[in-house]
Amino acid sequence: MMNLTLLPDLLLAGMLIGLAWAALSSDDLRRGVVLFIAFGLLLAIVWARLLAPDLALAEAAIGAGLSGALLLVALRDGSGGDKRAAKRSRLNRWLIDLFVLVMTCLIGWVLWLTIYAEPVERLAQLANAMLDRSGVSNPVTAVLLNYRAYDTLLELVVVLAAVLGVLVVGRERRGYREAGPVFYGLVHWLVPLLIVTAGYLLWVGAHAPGGAFQAGATLAAAGIVLRLAGYDAAGLPDGRLLRWLLVAGTGVFLLLGLGMNVSGGRFLQYPEAWSGSLILVIEVAATASIAAALVLAYRGGRTDGWLFMDNKDKSREVSS
Amino acid sequence: MNNLLIWPVAVPLLSAVLTLLWPRRSTWIGVLGTTLSLLAVVLVSRQVVESGAIELALGGWSPGLGIALRADGLSVLMLLMSTLVSMAVAVYASVYISRSERRSEFWVLWLLLITALHALFLSGDLFNLYVTLELLGLSAVVLACLGGSRESLQAALNYLMLGLLGSMAFLIGVALIYAGYGTLDMAALAAAIESGPTAWVALSLMTGGLLIKSALFPLHFWLPPAHSNAPAPVSAVLSALVVKAALYLILRLWLALFDEVVTQTAALILGLLGGIAVLWGSWAALQAERLKLMAAYSTVAQVGYLFLFLPLLAALPEGTTRDVALGALVLLALTHGFAKSAFFLAAGVIMQRAGHDRIAELGGTARALPVTAFTLALAGVALIGLPPSGSFLAKWQLLSSVFITGQWIWLPVIAVGTLLAGAYTFRLLGYAFAPGEGVGPSLSVGREEIPAVLLALAATLVLGFWASAVWELVPISAYAGGEG
Repeated sequence: MMNLTLLPDLLLAGMLIGLAWAALSSDDLRRGVVLFIAFGLLLAIVWARLLAPDLALAEAAIGAGLSGALLLVALRDGSGGDKRAAKRSRLNRWLIDLFVLVMTCLIGWVLWLTIYAEPVERLAQLANAMLDRSGVSNPVTAVLLNYRAYDTLLELVVVLAAVLGVLVVGRERRGYREAGPVFYGLVHWLVPLLIVTAGYLLWVGAHAPGGAFQAGATLAAAGIVLRLAGYDAAGLPDGRLLRWLLVAGTGVFLLLGLGMNVSGGRFLQYPEAWSGSLILVIEVAATASIAAALVLAYRGGRTDGWLFMDNKDKSREVSS
Repeated sequence: MNNLLIWPVAVPLLSAVLTLLWPRRSTWIGVLGTTLSLLAVVLVSRQVVESGAIELALGGWSPGLGIALRADGLSVLMLLMSTLVSMAVAVYASVYISRSERRSEFWVLWLLLITALHALFLSGDLFNLYVTLELLGLSAVVLACLGGSRESLQAALNYLMLGLLGSMAFLIGVALIYAGYGTLDMAALAAAIESGPTAWVALSLMTGGLLIKSALFPLHFWLPPAHSNAPAPVSAVLSALVVKAALYLILRLWLALFDEVVTQTAALILGLLGGIAVLWGSWAALQAERLKLMAAYSTVAQVGYLFLFLPLLAALPEGTTRDVALGALVLLALTHGFAKSAFFLAAGVIMQRAGHDRIAELGGTARALPVTAFTLALAGVALIGLPPSGSFLAKWQLLSSVFITGQWIWLPVIAVGTLLAGAYTFRLLGYAFAPGEGVGPSLSVGREEIPAVLLALAATLVLGFWASAVWELVPISAYAGGEG
């Protein structure tokens, strides 16, 4: 009977590998991207099967959804050029395949050795034991925003650096035509729903799967839907307010952390009674920044307002 | 006051946030933020010199569950190098970049790069190191494409892809280590890691990823285009600091965490690759027609020298002799950091005045830009390893380690490499000091020439005369407990 329950999992695993292979070996880039999105969704199901709902949410929202949207819009950018993947020589391709296969087997073997053959005590127990003192009851949130909050702070900075990269490289993409009546109706339903979902994910992160990254990605999805419907700004403000949005997460996180440092604690050592509220404040700011960064990445470059500030800047320089 | 340890990370990060919010003041905030970061590093260094290695458990959680920052002799030296170099480069950039449209973005990314470097040198946690590597790689790539030309974008894209591949390999290694030992804290791991398949595969993956980032032959091919097409201040920090960050991590992994795992053969392989890098990089530098390309190839060669030390360190017994060799390695890395940044800044000055950096057309540089020509000469002295530069002492010690361990094969590599370095330096100086009109008439000693010459002086004189401080600091280790 063991085999019967195992069957769907084996099927999932097989399909996952098949989709990954198909996405990588596709000559048509658009086909590859679509397969990649399907792969991401399937991977989310696999995470859910492995009882990791946090990862499942993140993979579905960020891995499949937003990465997929970014890849598709990048393909649209290069519409004038060649849509086919660059042809590598057959030998080259085989060598790469062989290398990847050997590495996969090697890593898989070692992982099997370490996880099943001689398992060691890891940190999950300790993390759960300290949960009372962390201010939240979802262990994943406790790790991300309390125990290892410094990592998360730096991750937010990574997102900031990435979006600056997008801004540096060029102007934003051209927008889309205004939506037809059917799509327009759908947008009116979808955007509020996505915003409410984002708010829910943000709030629920304290005690169940959810949190700033998932909420930010969902909020960004609302922005992307808006842009597809012809709202070129995708719900983002411009100019100074956009800058404040982008740095909100990093700034609030850092200032609160330093506040603890100055008031006698360690960096990011929240007072126990306050930790729940402080974590929520940080998550709200982080959600706003992540959503703004993702939408800006989808818009694909500097906005008009961004340039406008620089222009004012230049005229100042001339006059002074 | 171990709370000090967060400031070298927090100060540049806070300045970056402020720069993004007030783009019109970006130059001021950028230079001020860099200066305050320097101050923070100096305070941390003083603390380490006075009371030995220090540790800060972030969030008040014990290392393991939480993340610890640690500073010991090696990290303080790297911090000092990165903060001093970036200070000088910031002063230079305040002139160089002032006319650029993307000035405010430059300063934000500049401060993020400093944040990443400082966070990396202070981190005591393997996963946190991965995050700092990502931040470092990403901000470096974006800075590298600020030049805006097609080549610089292409080079930056290659840099990004390879950097991501390297980070990915590092991350898989980290995951294996966590699976095998149940912690990410480096002090605990230094005591726990023992030889076995998990440790072998993890070390190979992490080292492989870092080798891409430190551009060791044959994984160096991304470096010359990326470094030579970036704006001058960016090239300077890429070559002087970013490459060293990966090397620093390799040292930490090989000498503290995986010291039980490392075999003589593995070290020998890296040493051989380093040897080829020395010869090939120097040869390519001699062939280069552009000044910045020459500097970039010279970085490939100089990174090779640093890897020559690994087989020697593996062969030496733990104790004073090994510490002396390690000190020499660090001294060589520091000297190269200062000399190469000076070199790139000088190249930038020439490019701005002459509009090109073709070596054969540099005649008249010495008359038009005497300070810059002097900088090139001083930096050249340090790159060759002539006295009184720090690299002279370091290479001397390298040779004596070769004699002690009897690994004679490195002797011809060092000799030929040094001769080739002399050849490419004197070829450049020959053109620069020749009469000609290539560079145009002199204007004045610019604010941007001073930082370059100061960096070159630091490489040749300061590190030469105060080298003993390096040897005193290096043995202060935060991970020594693991070896007992």
